[in-house]
Amino acid sequence: MLEIPRSLLYNGDMCMKKIGRFLASMPFAIGLLILLAVACALCSAIPQGQTHAWYTARYGEQAAGLIKALRLDDAFRSVWFLVLAGALCLSLLSCNVTKLPALLRRVRAFRDPGTQAGSAETAEGEGDPEAVFRALRLKVPDRKETGDGKIHLFAVRGTAGFWGHWICHLGILLLIIGFVLGQMTGEEMTVAALPGETKALGKTGMQVRVEDFRAELREDGSAEQFTTEMELTGPDGSRENATIRVNEPAVLHGYSFFQNSYGWGADVRVEKNGKLLQASPLCAGELLPVEDKPELVLYLQEVYPELPGYLYRLYYQGNMLGMNVLEKDETLTVDDYTIVLGEPRMYTLLAVKRDAFIPLVLAGGLLILAGLALAFYVRPVSLRAERQGSGPWRLCARCRRGGPMFHEAFMKAAAGAGFSAAVNAEDGTAATGGEE
Amino acid sequence: MLQAENVLFTIVLVGYFLIMALYFAFVIVKKDALAKAAEALQALVLVLHTAALVLRGIGAGRWPMTNQYEFATSFAWALCLVSLIFIRKYRFHVLGAFASPLTLLIIGYAAMQSREVRELMPSLRSSWLAFHVSTAIIAYGAFGVAFVLSLLFLFRGKKQAEGFWHRHIPAEDKLDGISYRSVTLGILFLTMTMLTGAIWAQQAWGSYWSWDPKETWSLVTWIIYAVYLHLRLRRGWKGKAAAWFAVLGFICVIFTYIGVNTFLPGIHSYA
Repeated sequence: MLEIPRSLLYNGDMCMKKIGRFLASMPFAIGLLILLAVACALCSAIPQGQTHAWYTARYGEQAAGLIKALRLDDAFRSVWFLVLAGALCLSLLSCNVTKLPALLRRVRAFRDPGTQAGSAETAEGEGDPEAVFRALRLKVPDRKETGDGKIHLFAVRGTAGFWGHWICHLGILLLIIGFVLGQMTGEEMTVAALPGETKALGKTGMQVRVEDFRAELREDGSAEQFTTEMELTGPDGSRENATIRVNEPAVLHGYSFFQNSYGWGADVRVEKNGKLLQASPLCAGELLPVEDKPELVLYLQEVYPELPGYLYRLYYQGNMLGMNVLEKDETLTVDDYTIVLGEPRMYTLLAVKRDAFIPLVLAGGLLILAGLALAFYVRPVSLRAERQGSGPWRLCARCRRGGPMFHEAFMKAAAGAGFSAAVNAEDGTAATGGEE
Repeated sequence: MLQAENVLFTIVLVGYFLIMALYFAFVIVKKDALAKAAEALQALVLVLHTAALVLRGIGAGRWPMTNQYEFATSFAWALCLVSLIFIRKYRFHVLGAFASPLTLLIIGYAAMQSREVRELMPSLRSSWLAFHVSTAIIAYGAFGVAFVLSLLFLFRGKKQAEGFWHRHIPAEDKLDGISYRSVTLGILFLTMTMLTGAIWAQQAWGSYWSWDPKETWSLVTWIIYAVYLHLRLRRGWKGKAAAWFAVLGFICVIFTYIGVNTFLPGIHSYA
């Protein structure tokens, strides 16, 4: 049996711990964050998703080559950006995992009335300790007597504040993971359809039929609202109706339908030797192959509803035959075929998306918010008051990140309740200082 | 209603100029009466500015924060309010000499924008509008205050001890502490801005994050302040280093607000 030398195991273990410490370290995290910020800033200045020719025309051949080589044209989906994001996730995970034991110990110690570690605000005197508890918004505890004649009171609040940064890190981690998984597994498609038209919904096996599309326009021509009435036929043949408006999406069969945009199209009639061959709607930007001669294709480039007219291109076997403007009901003749475009009509453009990880992203976002609120606005405060027999009360208060403001608040509360700052046994100076 | 708002806006613009002049005079002549006059004028201008915003909202039939003009004027209002609170709370008039030029710059930017009230486009007709934009105003206002306090910190450090400046500007640790608290408020509200924006974008466009320049630069700003907080909390960065970081962060805020719309337009271009 192969025996692994102990020294190798020990070295391997030490190596893993070193890697873990490095990943959880502040310099690594800060360096990553700065790199990410710089990457985001630079890439925002480069228009994304353009062609090589576009970048060449704008920035020159060399720069365009560099942009494409480094994937700066799709920077936020490039390998190097994903590596940065992955490194950030590792950093967050390592930080949370390695710091969790110490965090738990700190919380336990803060809740322990016997803990003496760390600096504290102190005061002593014959005043009313319960008044100080109330002034610091602590629940007034019951007095406890120990066997040696000591009486003490202890209360703590806000220990959730210790967890703020940990929860915030967890939130960022979940958000990034949710976002990446959503990008990898999500589906996204568009459906452009004229009222009365039925279109297949990608490869889902479902069909979308647009019953109606209304563009409510104001007097100045600006849009008030866009409304699509649609029917979705599921893979099992079931039908569901929905009304979609901007900011009012519909969710059907796990897909979300959004009113994305609109455009113009027309009904196209194709006749062959005087007999109707096909009649179908066509939206601007779409291709329509002739049914019995699919190598002959009509492309509707632009619609001019005010004319009304259409800019079209005709293709045969992939080669452009011609390009021209056709008026409404004007006849276009190609061999035995005649093509006529009717009255311009508005079509609806729906964006259809499915992302199963949106709840994870939302949860991450809410955790980040909760974590920040806990970290900065929930300050753990503890107060211990004790007296030996008939001696004076000695108060000891702690506040995480309380600083000078907690010192002021405590001294004011103590003075109001008849206490004064405690004196250091060693040098007779007033004991002050809050935990930062 | 909108005509009245226009008149009030002009009065307010002149008012901010006079406030700045009075605070500058206080700093040059070193007479407390000038500071008190500036403070009183600032309170009056704030009331008029509030009235202008209310009239705008009533006239437009919605919250006045849907375009560059409305956002800028609301931002200036928030800065005026917060600086007045600090001036009153800490008897800290020199803050006015630093905050008033910034407020005037922002309201001046608003004055250069179109004040036409246009009906909202369909994508802006959402109840998320008020949440998203108001949290952004508070966040930017908080970062603006941190910026001004950091400038004051750096300025104080260069002045003679026991001089006029040292008498009228709070101690450096206090300035530093208030600036830190402003940044924490700012980053909390910036996170809310980004979260509400993402939820709204998902509802309107089906995409909660599209790496739009405005979204990307909000993230850059958030990261800058996150780095500031990490260095402060874990490495004890305070004082000068923290002050310079807060200044850098606010430069990012201004670029996110104005620079992106000017140089990198995207789907957030609602001027």
